Amino acid sequence: MLRKLPPLLFAAFFFMPITVNAEGPVTGVSHVWIREAPPGVQQLAGYFTLENFSNRPLAVVGITSPDFNSVMMYRKLQHSNRGELEPVTTLGIPPHKSIVLVPGGAHLILIKPRKRFFDGDLVTLTLRFSDHSSLTIMAPVRRDNPRH
Amino acid sequence: MHTGRILLFVVAAIVAILVGLGIGYRTLGRPGSAPKTAALLLRPPKSLPAFSLVDDRGVPFTRASLGGHWSLLYFGYTHCTDICPATLADLNQMAGELADLPTAERPQVYFISLDPKRDTPALLVRYVRHFNPAFTGVTGTVADLRALTAPLGVAFSYDPPDQSGNYTVDHSSVVFLINPANREAAIYTPPMISGRMAADYRAIIKYYGER
Repeated sequence: MLRKLPPLLFAAFFFMPITVNAEGPVTGVSHVWIREAPPGVQQLAGYFTLENFSNRPLAVVGITSPDFNSVMMYRKLQHSNRGELEPVTTLGIPPHKSIVLVPGGAHLILIKPRKRFFDGDLVTLTLRFSDHSSLTIMAPVRRDNPRH
Repeated sequence: MHTGRILLFVVAAIVAILVGLGIGYRTLGRPGSAPKTAALLLRPPKSLPAFSLVDDRGVPFTRASLGGHWSLLYFGYTHCTDICPATLADLNQMAGELADLPTAERPQVYFISLDPKRDTPALLVRYVRHFNPAFTGVTGTVADLRALTAPLGVAFSYDPPDQSGNYTVDHSSVVFLINPANREAAIYTPPMISGRMAADYRAIIKYYGER
């Protein structure tokens, strides 16, 4: 399995939607990345944009990774000016809408990596949806923020 | 006819100059006037309180430590998964965009941990150097931290620990620009966009350099 992403492929991976579903194009994932953790840090943040192409509401009901002990989903508390977060068990996506996980907003926390991941490594994530479908993606690890 | 052409040329030249001045004024502001920045400019710069902390080498870190150079202060903690590393990565990118400045004009970046229980100086060294070898970690007792955070308006509180004993620290997420006279000159607020932060920094130090 490819575990290290060549630099030239990185951008393509970052912007390439990945759509997999038995009934056709239902979800698309893009802007997937995981922040490289500083030494000693056992929790990594993950981000992506997930689009619901279907006519039905959809929700992410769980995320797992063989590379981590657990993966949690967090969102910012509404009406908070101090960035307080709350864990959530689902992330809903209305029909033909998308959810965007970015630094400072909703994001994943990947807990206790099986090994230390560095810039350019790939992490496997499997997203489970409310319609019982699932999607496995490879998320590149980045040291820097994507350029604005 | 000849005189008419000259007159037309003169009028066109005047209009062109006025338009140019107008564009320059809108873009750069009046010479000597405050620059238009996304960062909140404090006029006049606000004096910092006395405080007593320690840096990641175990050296006392006080108000005097900020004298003589421009500084960027960010408050967070190393167990912060999202906004702290994101901001430190932005500050690293900002530092890269300011690398052409003379050394004396480049800002020094200080990451001040609000979690002294877990963030020892030894841990802070490894943490901040991951983002940039020139960054410095700072911490202190909660009481000593509050001597600095309260006047700056940085709020922080500790959430109850989970079953594993882990806890989060809710905190303000802004970056303070301190001038070489130990005064708070500007505040960067999210979203932190390194290119814009660097452009603001250049405009702010130029503005204060002319005063």
